[in-house]
Amino acid sequence: MSFASMNRRNFLGATALAGAATVAGPHRARADDTVKIGFLAPLTGDVAAWGLPGLYGCEIWAEQKNAMGGVEIGGATYNVEIVSYDNEYLPDKARTGAQKLIAEDGVSFIEMLGGDTMPAVTPIANRAEMLVSTLLPSDLSPDTPFLVAPAEVHPIYNLTGVWWMAENMPDAKTAVICAQDDAIGRPSVATYLAAFEAHGVEVKDTIFFDISTTDFAPVMTAMLAHKPDILCLDTAYAEFVNELCKQAFVQGYGGQIVSCTADFYADIIANTSEEFMDGVIFQFPDFDDPALNDPRINFDDPNGFFQTYNERYPGQWGAVSWEYASILDLWLDGARKAGSIEPAAVLEGMKQGGKGAHAFGEADWWGEELFGIDNALVGDWPVVQIQNGKAVIVEFKNIPEWWSEHGGTMIEHFEEMGEMWYQRA
Amino acid sequence: MDLAVFIQTCLNAVYASSYLALVAVGLVLIFGVMRVVNFAHGELYMAGAYALFWVFHQTGLPFFLGVAVAIAAVGALGLVMERALFRPMRNNPLGGLICSIGALLILQAGAVALFGVRKKSFAGPYNEAVSLFGVESLTISGQRLAVIAFAVALLGALWVFLKKSRFGWALRAVAQDPDAAALQGISIGRISMLAMALGAGLAGAAGALTATIVPTGPYMGHSVIIGAFIVIIVGGVGSLEGAVVASILYAFVSTFVTTIWDGVVADIAGLLLMLAVLVARPQGLFGRPERA
Repeated sequence: MSFASMNRRNFLGATALAGAATVAGPHRARADDTVKIGFLAPLTGDVAAWGLPGLYGCEIWAEQKNAMGGVEIGGATYNVEIVSYDNEYLPDKARTGAQKLIAEDGVSFIEMLGGDTMPAVTPIANRAEMLVSTLLPSDLSPDTPFLVAPAEVHPIYNLTGVWWMAENMPDAKTAVICAQDDAIGRPSVATYLAAFEAHGVEVKDTIFFDISTTDFAPVMTAMLAHKPDILCLDTAYAEFVNELCKQAFVQGYGGQIVSCTADFYADIIANTSEEFMDGVIFQFPDFDDPALNDPRINFDDPNGFFQTYNERYPGQWGAVSWEYASILDLWLDGARKAGSIEPAAVLEGMKQGGKGAHAFGEADWWGEELFGIDNALVGDWPVVQIQNGKAVIVEFKNIPEWWSEHGGTMIEHFEEMGEMWYQRA
Repeated sequence: MDLAVFIQTCLNAVYASSYLALVAVGLVLIFGVMRVVNFAHGELYMAGAYALFWVFHQTGLPFFLGVAVAIAAVGALGLVMERALFRPMRNNPLGGLICSIGALLILQAGAVALFGVRKKSFAGPYNEAVSLFGVESLTISGQRLAVIAFAVALLGALWVFLKKSRFGWALRAVAQDPDAAALQGISIGRISMLAMALGAGLAGAAGALTATIVPTGPYMGHSVIIGAFIVIIVGGVGSLEGAVVASILYAFVSTFVTTIWDGVVADIAGLLLMLAVLVARPQGLFGRPERA
């Protein structure tokens, strides 16, 4: 049909067809080219500090990938969309969120914090064969074949801080541990007990407190009554660490503090003093640390990521800010190896060769002895110390090396705490 | 437990009983006059803490001005709740209770919307440790001492108000027998407003005074309201003296058990205390037995 011969009816018909093609075509193409990642973690409530900052990190990760034209997997290019659901660290909400993300949103992968929310999600993930990640490998068991812990080996990495202290502070011989009584606190206590025992530090007492605790003065009085060389704050929630440090400061403690996290440590310093917090050992670096520019680090431009993050979300950098994003790196690596975004294929790709490109260097898929399944990616982990008001990586320690010598001690303490996978089941 | 730890634990318990008494006495006032179990009382405590955060920490105004603003603002919030929620439900206790749960959720959501989910931890003006009795290891922060002093002052002022003023007499009369009080010409509506403003103001004061000691967050009212309910059951529902005595008893039991065993056992001990009192004296320590 020549343009000249086109009458009004043909013109309108052709325009309508073209319009429909214009509207429908690109939409369908975009949908096909988008991979959705579920983010199912606490964004509000007491545990939000280990969820929300991670979502911010994932959004930056996705934006950066999309700005470069998307991610290429199996010959196709995908934009990445993060679909978040706030589980408030409540099992019921986590279950609802998992159902929504899988059935309604059609996500290809779900990132979770884990802990108390994981048992509610596991049956749904298993039924759907959905790949799920957790920050807490203590969630792993042979009943969780689609669950991986590829970034954080909580609480096992806590041993590196104790190990470093034993080498560098040999006079510190006694410790007291406190922890909230939950699925995050208890396995962490087992880890610290094992690490202290392995390095000849006597643990005078372990004090549990309820997660609804607001006044930490009695807890700290109980701890200081033992006159410990080391105060171990375990994996206390971010606000708890802050309050415990405030109390230690007010009640005149002058010894060493070790903690899994020291999120928002600038606030803690403001509430105590730079001198008091100097020397505190924990496990999570700021990503502007020069040690992270080492070629073995598998995280794109950590310093740039840290800068972007802080510009966009000032004061929000915490332990998990980079972790969920680093899991996306590992997921992408697995998807590329598999040439697919199908969850089962990606899992196979991730675990190919028994090794993975962990953020802190090449690591092994590990965990059979402790979790009953090799779904935790374990290698080096940094020991971080506050020096002159700033978090500094003082050394990377190799977890498998420690395990080869003291693994039995760790298993004993996990058993005593009832945290071995067969006890949890 | 050596002597220093014992005295330190006593100090911790005195602090805990002081702010708990402020919250519990407010709750008793509201229940006594309005017969409403105010589940949102913990959120009034939270509102007081945020008021102080805003006035003192955000705008840099003096701490005690922040406390005064918190008392006034939360008292006003109590008035709004009385007029909008509880007065229409005056003859419907279940309706009042459900309204208070609604208020709880609204206040929590409001705090999230205004201040975000992250808890605020900020230092007060008297953060430095004060050594007591010349013992270096025996310390308490000046901030905690301020809470204790203020709680004693506020509760003392309330006692004088209730015992010596006409409004206080009227309030006690309504609490004892609303119908007889109304026949004497006392306005139940006005006295309800007064009780709500006083009760809310006390919760606001407790929140403001402790805001620099505990993390201020949208859900901080939970643990406080649970403790306050235990206290008013132990003390005797409706008894102001009972609320004060039970606050001291509960705080000492909880603090000592935390120090000797741990915090989880302390929660159980608090509930066991309530159970023991209910078994031995169902009306509570200072409550009056229900007439058949």
